[in-house]
Amino acid sequence: MPRYGIAIDTTKCIGCHSCRVACQNQQGLEYNQSFNWIKEKERGKFPSFAKEFVPLQCNQCENAPCQRVCPTGAIYTSPEGVVLVHKERCVGCKYCIEACPYKVRTVDHHEGIVVKCWFCIDLVRAGGEPACVTTCPTQVRIFGDLDDPGSRISRFIATHRAEPLRPDLGTRPRIFYKRS
Amino acid sequence: MKKKRGISRRKFLIGSAAGGATLLAGSYLRPNSWAAKPKAPEAVKLTPTLCDGCGNWCAINVYTKGDRVWKAEGNLIAGNNVGRICAKGHALLHEAYNPDRIKSPLKRVGPNKFEPISWEQAFKEIGEKTRQISEKHGPESLFWLHYPEGNAALAQRFMTALGSPNVFSHGSTCFLPRNIGWWLTTGSSKPEHDFENTRFMLFIGRNPAAGLQLRQLKDMAAGRDRGARMVVVDPRFSEAASMGHQWIRIRPGTDLALMLAIAHVMIKEGTYQKDFVEKYTQGFEEFASQVEQYTPEWAEEKTSIPRDTIVNLAREMAAAAPRAVIHRGYHGAMGTQYKNSLQLVRAVACVNGLLGNFNQLGGLFEPPKVKLGSLDKERFPAPPKVDGPMVDGSTDPERYPLTPKGHGLTHAIPELAIEGKLKAGFVYHNNPLRTNPNPARVIEGYKKLELLVSFDYVLSETASVAHYILPESYYLERDDVVHSNHCYKSKQVAIRQAVIKPLYDTKPLFHILREMAPHLGIGKYFTCTLDEYNEALLAPLGVTLERLKKEGLIDLGGEWKPGEPKFSTPSEKLEFVSSTLRDLNLPAMPAWEEPLVVPNRTDPHSFRLIHGKQAHQTHARTVNQSYLKEITLVNDLGRVWIHPDRAKALNVRDGDCMTISSSVGKGRARARVTDGIHPECVFLPSGYGVFSRNLKTGFGYGISYNDFLPTYFEPVLGHTMSGEIIVRIEKT
Amino acid sequence: MPESAWGWLIVAYLFLAGAGSGAFLAAVACDLLAPDWSRTLARAGSLAAGPLVTIGTVCLVLDLEAGLWQPWRQIYLVSNLSSMITWGVIILSAFIPVAFLYAAALNEITFVGRFAKKYLLHLEIVGSVLAASTAAYTGVLIAVVNGVPFWNTPLMPVLFMASAISTGLAVAMIGAAILDINTIKTLSNFALGHLIFLSVEAVVLMMFIFMSLTRSVEAAASADMLISGVLSPYFWVIVVVLGIVLPFLLSIVEYYKYGELHKYLVIGADLCVLLGGMSLRAVIIFSATPPQVI
Ligand SMILES: Nc1nc2c(c(=O)[nH]1)N[C@H]1C(S)=C(S)[C@@H](COP(=O)(O)OP(=O)(O)OC[C@H]3O[C@@H](n4cnc5c(=O)[nH]c(N)nc54)[C@H](O)[C@@H]3O)O[C@H]1N2
Ligand SMILES: Nc1nc2c(c(=O)[nH]1)N[C@H]1C(S)=C(S)[C@@H](COP(=O)(O)OP(=O)(O)OC[C@H]3O[C@@H](n4cnc5c(=O)[nH]c(N)nc54)[C@H](O)[C@@H]3O)O[C@H]1N2
Ligand code: SF4
Ligand code: SF4
Ligand code: SF4
Ligand code: SF4
Ligand code: SF4
Ligand SMILES: [Mo]
Repeated sequence: MPRYGIAIDTTKCIGCHSCRVACQNQQGLEYNQSFNWIKEKERGKFPSFAKEFVPLQCNQCENAPCQRVCPTGAIYTSPEGVVLVHKERCVGCKYCIEACPYKVRTVDHHEGIVVKCWFCIDLVRAGGEPACVTTCPTQVRIFGDLDDPGSRISRFIATHRAEPLRPDLGTRPRIFYKRS
Repeated sequence: MKKKRGISRRKFLIGSAAGGATLLAGSYLRPNSWAAKPKAPEAVKLTPTLCDGCGNWCAINVYTKGDRVWKAEGNLIAGNNVGRICAKGHALLHEAYNPDRIKSPLKRVGPNKFEPISWEQAFKEIGEKTRQISEKHGPESLFWLHYPEGNAALAQRFMTALGSPNVFSHGSTCFLPRNIGWWLTTGSSKPEHDFENTRFMLFIGRNPAAGLQLRQLKDMAAGRDRGARMVVVDPRFSEAASMGHQWIRIRPGTDLALMLAIAHVMIKEGTYQKDFVEKYTQGFEEFASQVEQYTPEWAEEKTSIPRDTIVNLAREMAAAAPRAVIHRGYHGAMGTQYKNSLQLVRAVACVNGLLGNFNQLGGLFEPPKVKLGSLDKERFPAPPKVDGPMVDGSTDPERYPLTPKGHGLTHAIPELAIEGKLKAGFVYHNNPLRTNPNPARVIEGYKKLELLVSFDYVLSETASVAHYILPESYYLERDDVVHSNHCYKSKQVAIRQAVIKPLYDTKPLFHILREMAPHLGIGKYFTCTLDEYNEALLAPLGVTLERLKKEGLIDLGGEWKPGEPKFSTPSEKLEFVSSTLRDLNLPAMPAWEEPLVVPNRTDPHSFRLIHGKQAHQTHARTVNQSYLKEITLVNDLGRVWIHPDRAKALNVRDGDCMTISSSVGKGRARARVTDGIHPECVFLPSGYGVFSRNLKTGFGYGISYNDFLPTYFEPVLGHTMSGEIIVRIEKT
Repeated sequence: MPESAWGWLIVAYLFLAGAGSGAFLAAVACDLLAPDWSRTLARAGSLAAGPLVTIGTVCLVLDLEAGLWQPWRQIYLVSNLSSMITWGVIILSAFIPVAFLYAAALNEITFVGRFAKKYLLHLEIVGSVLAASTAAYTGVLIAVVNGVPFWNTPLMPVLFMASAISTGLAVAMIGAAILDINTIKTLSNFALGHLIFLSVEAVVLMMFIFMSLTRSVEAAASADMLISGVLSPYFWVIVVVLGIVLPFLLSIVEYYKYGELHKYLVIGADLCVLLGGMSLRAVIIFSATPPQVI
């Protein structure tokens, strides 16, 4: 069984938001729901001023705080290491939103449940790649198997020493960032 | 994509009482429900077509679920988007269902009051009126204005049949100097860049990371991955800068000085590509002695870029040459922005010449062109040619000899209408009331027209003042003319075709023209069907229409290969000294020229207003799309950028409201205080300021640079000079 | 991007569950320690506890979405023992019946009450444990949330516990006044309770805020919101002055001028404590600042 992850090269992200809308369409989300955020970060003063766009989505944490706090057990981890929401179990208490340090979960007010990025596991199981990965004009994201040391993603993470966001929080994310 | 709320109140009660237990059991049995449940109960179908979200016409494969549009993916082999789609390309799929859409032909019966009419009535009335005007004022009083689509040739045929030379495009508000400058220097107006294989790329007033070109972006990223250096010259830290290695902050309107100084350094240090210059260029000696005066010290004064930065830039580029390239430009500094933009484009082309990168690996190249066929003149007679310049003086040797027919000066239309030289107009896929300078003047002019026919799919600002609005079927609902502008490195042909049936009483432009023509007395030129037309275009390519429709886009081979450079200038060389300009008694060599206006450096309120695209908005039309507007709102992207020191002097803090005014307009915007901008200017994203009340999502959000831009005509080409705006800023 | 997904319903829930359990504890304390002159107060506290906690729980349920529309889903709420909501549901399910039973017993309502009276002490012991659990749990619920560093501290349950007891006492006192306005005079005996618990609350609140300022940038950002930011008027005026300082001062007067304080001032002090307790939850929930992840 592969263990999926994403590597993100923020030095190539231009903040175009294509990933956001590709995802919204793929998942049938409303205009004001999203699984995908692009955060801007400015650093330094001219002449050493720089700006970075950081794409943010569910990290599919191996030690997922959202999963830990969910009273209904609606949050579970799939065999591929993707944190999923069991639609019929979720009651919409939103405790998981409070617990997620990355703040990437969204209420779906139509279904009354809380949803989030699920690594397009339906597309992936059918042999494809997530929508946000394929649409990106600069190929910021690399999707693949973290357990296969020969995969593009593993090599990328190794070469660039890509790291998760806030590893100190102990959530063990499956998304790794190259940020400089 | 409205889904129904989980459950109704009545069901809730019954359900809780009776069904609870069963449902409970049921859901326990499906632990993987979200993952395993089929997402689409309806049939999923895929139709290849072309996006219409901006001028790139990316090739996309659109999925429908049942009869509803679902999502799109990029066509992997399409030269200009290679499998990618931008945010707009995705979001505009929803636009088919925008309630603002026009649902049938409309006749305006009062200010902002419309009455639905039949196509028949519309054609009849438009036909009668056009003929009257043409008889009374001559066919030169008629015009067509469009953002040229694949079917630009149809519009041309239509106007020629009517006997008018006046076909305008958006060119004078967009790219005019870029096209002409390159054409004068190299004989070709739009060279492409081999960014994939380059070692050094320089962007000057061009930001493909927001003024998107998806193929270029992909190649830029690939080149960068392979170790190419990427430098961005911009008064603000653009999106391209955030993926680049170096941001060079320049005083707006002074890029020409930078280019001249770079030429100076490369020539003085003898690092230019001597073989190339010797073999393929003309006028080098004159150029060399011309740029001797433009030292880096001098350029530092003009541009505010430190001398050493300029020298290093020239050295780095020269070291990487010929695999070093300066982007050819588009709308930014090299488009219709500054009085010196034409000279800047010439200078950029010349420095590319010094780098000797033409037709080289990692340099510039001429994309392979597809030669489409044409209608059989026996079966389908062509209307007689209309000679002579356009009414605005385009191609007139005395006025704008270099401004081409078919483009002209869109922002001269209001002036000409006020003067009574234009009486009737057809506006297709273009919105001059919002995208031309000085809206008050534009509105006044367009209102003077005796007949204004707008082809649009919503009541844009322009459509809202038209006498008749003929709703075109949305791009997802229409078959269009064959396109061949996907060629990047190989020859490609593509077609736009209907993904869903038209939701309302609308028609594609081809059908509108064909059905309207008889009412104008030009029916005999519009007898072929769209399929016949497309078959004629495809005939020389050995591709059937059927196959093209099936595949959406076909690659015809003919890969570009590096080799001997060719220039189709009069001298068949790259012209440092332009023979055409010299013949016209215009400055034949790039020379420093000041921008038209400069902010008052002693007045803390005085700024230049610069502007630029955002990746998720096209011009000023897409903020009416809810997914795209939401991106702006969530990320607060409508703000005006201002330098911290200048903001402080005005007592403006991040997020504060500012009042902005110029000689022609006034408006308000919130501040984004950032070190990523030159202190002498403010930056306004160019996608906002919808003022048509009929565009309900976008209406009233933000302001547009056009609100502050006076009506200018640049002396040589006549373009808008839309960067020559001085504004006064105050805290509100 | 969602920052705090919880709103007023959760604030109300946290407050009511706290006040209800506090009232229960107050009732038990009165019944056990000072059975004579504090009967009314014990009765009032016992009568208020069950309904308050129930209303609080209703608020919690109303904040659900799918779980509200399809109530059978609520069965799942007890699925995950590592979730504080699961524990909350268990504790509340146990506490609510006990609280009602205790009210019935203490007030000898119907035959059930008369029967339960026999086991009053048992009810008091079990009920107190559950009440204390409920009060502390409301704090733990948010203290374990690592998505909001401001909340993520062991002081949180202590703070909520202290506030639960003072608001519970206030509920009992108001209730007692309603049951029998003459008790107002004897209420002065309890002003001491207010003084103690309000002091504890004030000290814990101060520690909580001060420690937040240094704990992490995000906790500091939240604390700043209360001290000097957008929420500061609510924090200083309602939580601190109206909710703690004013009732504290009134309680001092009340205590020393035994039985002399005007009845509206006595009741007013208690209402202030309630207002402060509710607002304390509100500002804590609304000042949630997510971790800086980029
Ligand atoms: N997302 C999106 N993509 C588009 C379009 C769209 O509307 N939206 N439109 C398409 C069209 S029609 C066009 S023309 C292109 C336009 O594409 P670009 O030519 O890239 O257009 P702009 O964004 O107007 O300008 C580019 C940059 O020029 C900078 N600039 C302004 N003044 C100066 C100056 O004096 N010197 C320098 N060095 N830089 C300056 C601006 O800050 C901006 O970052 O984009 C095309 N692609
Ligand atoms: N405010 C502002 N002004 C600008 C610019 C800007 O960014 N902001 N950019 C400048 C540049 S670079 C350019 S190229 C020009 C572009 O100038 P325009 O071509 O005028 O710009 P758009 O906003 O794309 O307007 C397109 C019009 O076509 C309509 N339309 C959309 N889809 C269809 C369709 O399927 N059929 C038909 N018939 N109509 C349709 C839209 O509703 C809109 O009214 O603007 C220039 N002026
Ligand atoms: S699509 Fe790619 S470049 Fe664009 S915002 Fe998303 S990650 Fe960044
Ligand atoms: S990122 Fe948030 S939502 Fe995703 S697994 Fe981690 S805690 Fe859960
Ligand atoms: S909202 Fe749903 S997924 Fe989130 S914690 Fe509550 S029950 Fe679990
Ligand atoms: S992986 Fe799929 S669900 Fe997750 S953000 Fe990307 S497109 Fe959306
Ligand atoms: S760049 Fe975006 S909007 Fe323009 S044609 Fe391509 S997908 Fe459509
Ligand atoms: Mo343009």
